[in-house]
Amino acid sequence: MAKAYAKDFTTKELIAAFIARQVRDGERVAVGAGLHVPRAGILLAHLLYCPNVRLYMVMTFTNVLKEPKMEPFYTVTDFRPAKWAEAYVLHDDFQENPRLVSNMFVVGALQIDPYGNSNLIGVGKDYRRLTFRGPGAIGTTSMAHYVDRYYLYVQSHDRRIFVEKCDFISTVGWGEGGADGRRRLGLPDNGPTYCITPLCLMDFEPQTKRMRLKSVHPGVTVDDVVRNTGFELIVPDIVPETEPPTVEELRVLRERIDVEGMLRT
Amino acid sequence: MALERKSLVIDEREAASWIRDGMTIAIGGFINSSHPMAIVRQIIRRGVRGLTVIGPASGGLDLDLLIGAGCVRKLVTAYMGGEHYCPVAPMFRAAVEHGELEVWECDEGMYYCALRAAAQRLPFTPWKAGIGTSFPEVNPDIKVFTDPITGEPLLAIPAIKPDIAIIYAAHADPYGNVQHIGTGFGDRALWRAADRTIVQVERIIPNEEVRRNPLATSLYGVDAVVRAPYGSHPFAAPGYYIEDAEHLREYVAAAMTYAKHGDRGPFDAYLRRYVLEPETHADYLEVIGIKRLISLHEY
Repeated sequence: MAKAYAKDFTTKELIAAFIARQVRDGERVAVGAGLHVPRAGILLAHLLYCPNVRLYMVMTFTNVLKEPKMEPFYTVTDFRPAKWAEAYVLHDDFQENPRLVSNMFVVGALQIDPYGNSNLIGVGKDYRRLTFRGPGAIGTTSMAHYVDRYYLYVQSHDRRIFVEKCDFISTVGWGEGGADGRRRLGLPDNGPTYCITPLCLMDFEPQTKRMRLKSVHPGVTVDDVVRNTGFELIVPDIVPETEPPTVEELRVLRERIDVEGMLRT
Repeated sequence: MALERKSLVIDEREAASWIRDGMTIAIGGFINSSHPMAIVRQIIRRGVRGLTVIGPASGGLDLDLLIGAGCVRKLVTAYMGGEHYCPVAPMFRAAVEHGELEVWECDEGMYYCALRAAAQRLPFTPWKAGIGTSFPEVNPDIKVFTDPITGEPLLAIPAIKPDIAIIYAAHADPYGNVQHIGTGFGDRALWRAADRTIVQVERIIPNEEVRRNPLATSLYGVDAVVRAPYGSHPFAAPGYYIEDAEHLREYVAAAMTYAKHGDRGPFDAYLRRYVLEPETHADYLEVIGIKRLISLHEY
């Protein structure tokens, strides 16, 4: 049976549906508090497709399959979701085995280069004289290293973010590129899978590990993406439109997860 | 004469007097929750200078306030912000961009490596995550070395030892048995690494209550206990109150005026009103007001 796709949705809802399709049942999945769209996507996967997902959410481990409605929470220190906790995750324990809390991770960035190396440290040529001091790496360096796969996610798509070379690298992607880009650094092959932006989805071409346009969101042209990317992007002859959310995905998203409508603005 | 067990309870003024210029101190909690603010504000009142501050793995606006007040020379943490209140902590950002604050750049994994090495009296902890990044370049304390077992590159994350850790928790008995509500974030790592630990609590509970559930004792044998109800305000305290969103927005607006426009007026006014003028924690709570404090509930 053909999927019944929704017609009227926002880009944030589209991205949440894409992220939902990345989660596999039975996995452990870290749910960040601050990135509302990835959070909604992971919860959508859980409620619709992955009943056995183990969520690492706001310093707790839990499964919220039977929750009729997710009450909103805004910060990683918000104690309210602890009412769902099946276990507490003591934050210092995460270093002991980061894979105990997640198999996948979402990494934000101030800058991203063509090989998916990313920067949360700051912008400027001289580290001692940054022109913009960023928030810092948080746990991205270590989590991205230990999980099976990670996703780059940014909330805007422009030439300040997508640069030929990051001023600093806080999370390594595919290094200097090439199919063995990470192995040459002595690292396992779990570099970034996709880069998700408000304009498009990108993956990494297997031979060069350079960023490649995978799909554009409705209303966005290939030229829009190319114009707003500060490096040469691999653009296939045919670039499809990003798969929309289904009617069911959108309903669950709006009725059970994003009850406050943060993804609708 | 019968021997008596000694109470470790002190007030926030005595606690802050332990902190001297140039020390390395660790401050517990996590971003918007569980910071020992009664002691932090007293450190600012005392005008302590040149501190190396080890924040939580991810630091919040408590550290931003200390930086803005001029107490901090060097900061160890993997994040400085207030999540949705502000993506990057304003006074931190300004201080770094002006070259006034040194940052010991790390991610959360490396941060715990440094504390673990300190706790175990080791020179460093090896860590793999961060190979291929700029960390060894922007933080020269972090060295790349060759693993003698596999021959692959590894990072050596050196020990960072706090002279004193200052931690917030829900409860402690007078003898230094501490019970958190909630996870306690990374507080245990600070306690394990530090030479001495001061814990600021909402309530001091009887020793009998601790013995009722020793499994709940998250830190034991700490050096001093400070009672300060609403002592994490304006940040959250699991089991007691949520963060004061209005107050945090007031702080962020004041600090952003400096970060964006170079005008310290509003930040200095905040500092005077909420930190320098109230002489004690109780005076601070009076400035905040009982109505605001009791409105900070979950439901």
